[in-house]
Amino acid sequence: MTPQPQRSTAAIRRTTTKGATSHSETPDQQEKDRPRETAGHSPPIRAAVVGTGGISKEHLGFLAGRASAGPVEGRIRLVGVCDLSEVAATYAARQYEADAAFTELDSLLDSAMPHVVHVLTPPATHVPLVTKCLESGADVICEKPITSTAAELRQLLAVADRTGRRLMESHNYRFNRTIRAIAQSIADGRFGTIREVEIRIALPVTDPDGRFGDPNLPNPIHDMPAGVLHDFTTHFGYLVLHLIGPARFDRIGAAFSSHQDHPLFAYDNLDAILIGRRIIADKPTGPPVHARLRFDAGAAPDTFTVCVRGDRGWTETDIFQPYVREVIPRPVGSQLSPIVNHVVNGAGLVRDGVRNVGRKLLQDNPYEGLHHMLDKTYAALADGSPLPVSPDDMIATSELVDQLLDERHRL
Amino acid sequence: MTLKIFITGATGFVGSHVVAEAVRRGHEVTAVVRPSSSQDPTVGRPSVNAARIDLRSKEGLADAVSGHDVVIHLAAAKAGDFAVQFAGTVVATENLLGAMAESGVANLVGVSTFSVYDYLGMRPKTLLDEAAPIDRSPARRDEYAQTKLIQEELFRRFGEVDGRRLVVLRPGMIYGAGNLWHALLGAEFGSRFLRIGAKATLPLTYVENCATAMVLAAERLTDTETTVDGETINLVDDNLPTQRSYAEAVMARTDTPPSIGIPWAVVRTAAGALAKGNELLLDGRAKFPGIAVPDRLHARFKPLRYTNAKAKRLLGWSPRYQLTEAIDRSVSAQETS
Repeated sequence: MTPQPQRSTAAIRRTTTKGATSHSETPDQQEKDRPRETAGHSPPIRAAVVGTGGISKEHLGFLAGRASAGPVEGRIRLVGVCDLSEVAATYAARQYEADAAFTELDSLLDSAMPHVVHVLTPPATHVPLVTKCLESGADVICEKPITSTAAELRQLLAVADRTGRRLMESHNYRFNRTIRAIAQSIADGRFGTIREVEIRIALPVTDPDGRFGDPNLPNPIHDMPAGVLHDFTTHFGYLVLHLIGPARFDRIGAAFSSHQDHPLFAYDNLDAILIGRRIIADKPTGPPVHARLRFDAGAAPDTFTVCVRGDRGWTETDIFQPYVREVIPRPVGSQLSPIVNHVVNGAGLVRDGVRNVGRKLLQDNPYEGLHHMLDKTYAALADGSPLPVSPDDMIATSELVDQLLDERHRL
Repeated sequence: MTLKIFITGATGFVGSHVVAEAVRRGHEVTAVVRPSSSQDPTVGRPSVNAARIDLRSKEGLADAVSGHDVVIHLAAAKAGDFAVQFAGTVVATENLLGAMAESGVANLVGVSTFSVYDYLGMRPKTLLDEAAPIDRSPARRDEYAQTKLIQEELFRRFGEVDGRRLVVLRPGMIYGAGNLWHALLGAEFGSRFLRIGAKATLPLTYVENCATAMVLAAERLTDTETTVDGETINLVDDNLPTQRSYAEAVMARTDTPPSIGIPWAVVRTAAGALAKGNELLLDGRAKFPGIAVPDRLHARFKPLRYTNAKAKRLLGWSPRYQLTEAIDRSVSAQETS
């Protein structure tokens, strides 16, 4: 990609706001014109996508208004799609009715002048691309893992701060229907004080026909410190912190293994235990909390289960085949509660089974949370309210991933 | 005249036969092989070189293709989701054509497919020849048809530049060892096979016949006297069988899964009703298996007529093996392997 002179933020505002030609270009006025952290974008918000890999169809589908049913539906304009492959960029632009296709990020930023850029490229490219987007005056939504370390993330957040732009990493599964339901139940105190979160993912990532297992053109994720597992440790990190709440883990044991001895894969299995305390008033003096994280490329069928246990009850879900089971004290007393839990959960499983048939037929997939997250993100970008994934959320997640990968914590 | 031919997809079901045929006809071949492939097409063939390249990456491609008289581009992804097939078929073709342009290789035999035609819009028993319309709105077709249609666009764009020559070949269903029981007969249903229809003519071409046509196309394209530049040519064999006669010929020689026959009219009507219901009640959002989607169903089972007159006229091709002998050769090859 070729270097490009930076355009002034005043120029961005002038061009992207119809009829606003009276904007001065004095430095003071430029500063005034630059949208601030709390200032929203006037609709339509000009959005662009960089990278047209597998996940792009979810972002592009949302932006094209096909997946959105939220508060910003119809208020987004897809002004550009960029990919190193011209045919990929052109096809995506045509398919999702973008204004233009680009093969160079500089051209996209200069010509399309997006308010928001979705960076969906391989993780190793995130730092330079995100930096360039922020410095051009655009807010950025970036696929996870946004960086390989928390230190790199802090650098990016510093760029966002310096440029007055907003940066958000996708923590998509936090926004899936069942995870939102569980988070609400936790907030309502249905399970009491949360003591433990257990997350298990089973996916055949080493399958040679899959996107990670192809030996001919290895997926760039293999270059990350934990290889393919880096992709999943981000999910583990934000889900644990979201469901447990702010916590500091001072005892961590993480066993990264390569059980299948696949030459491409640094690891295909993770078994990690985290023990710590909830943070209260900035200090880890709250109740003790445990987290158990499991990833297994050899287990079947595909699974993404989340189980949360408190001192009153527990709940579980599977993000891939959504259901919610809750075992809690029922009004019938402790003797009959187990029976009522069985009956209620049995009925719930039947209901969710029927729902899942409908989901299958209607092509709903586990990325429904991504669409919900983007709805909230664009609503926040429009009215200047806080983004659904805050810088603190991102740093806490990234630090937790760093801890998991720290050699001192390896089993 | 000996040609230097660059063949992509060279270790695949069709490509391996194209390499063999090119060698048999005295040409020098560079066979493109994926880096991880355990196959070595050079063994016992002094006139074959291997280029271990993944076409989804531009790395080394221009150097590898440089100096060749013609490219036969067979490589394509036939499985995986849209992103996988887009990368393996469309991006791979973009990279190859870019490398050809960069290194001055001007002749391209682009291998497309019968899948690009607009079957739903055709009347039953229509003659499907090269003039038949291609599918202009393939959103409901499978990933293979969608990506091959984009690939054809790239072929055409390449051929539009002065000094370049292009012939697009559209083979029908290519059968042979390992691919005798194919998608135009029906679909797997548990441990059984649903045979859909019986009387439709199958647009088949036996893999060795098809390979001959592809090498002939490369020869004709580079021959200024007989060039087929700008042509699109369908490839089907002579004396095409019906679904029933083909299935019986295969079943007589091989172990085949137990099958259940369903009339074409029944499946067509059911899929049509399902599609109507989907449109009316669910705004077309429901996703059904391929044989329940009219656009895909018609592409596989609609009774049509076919011709190979243009291939014979322009390529001087005459399919060497008839059905019975082709099946015998396939079964022998399967037993040997």
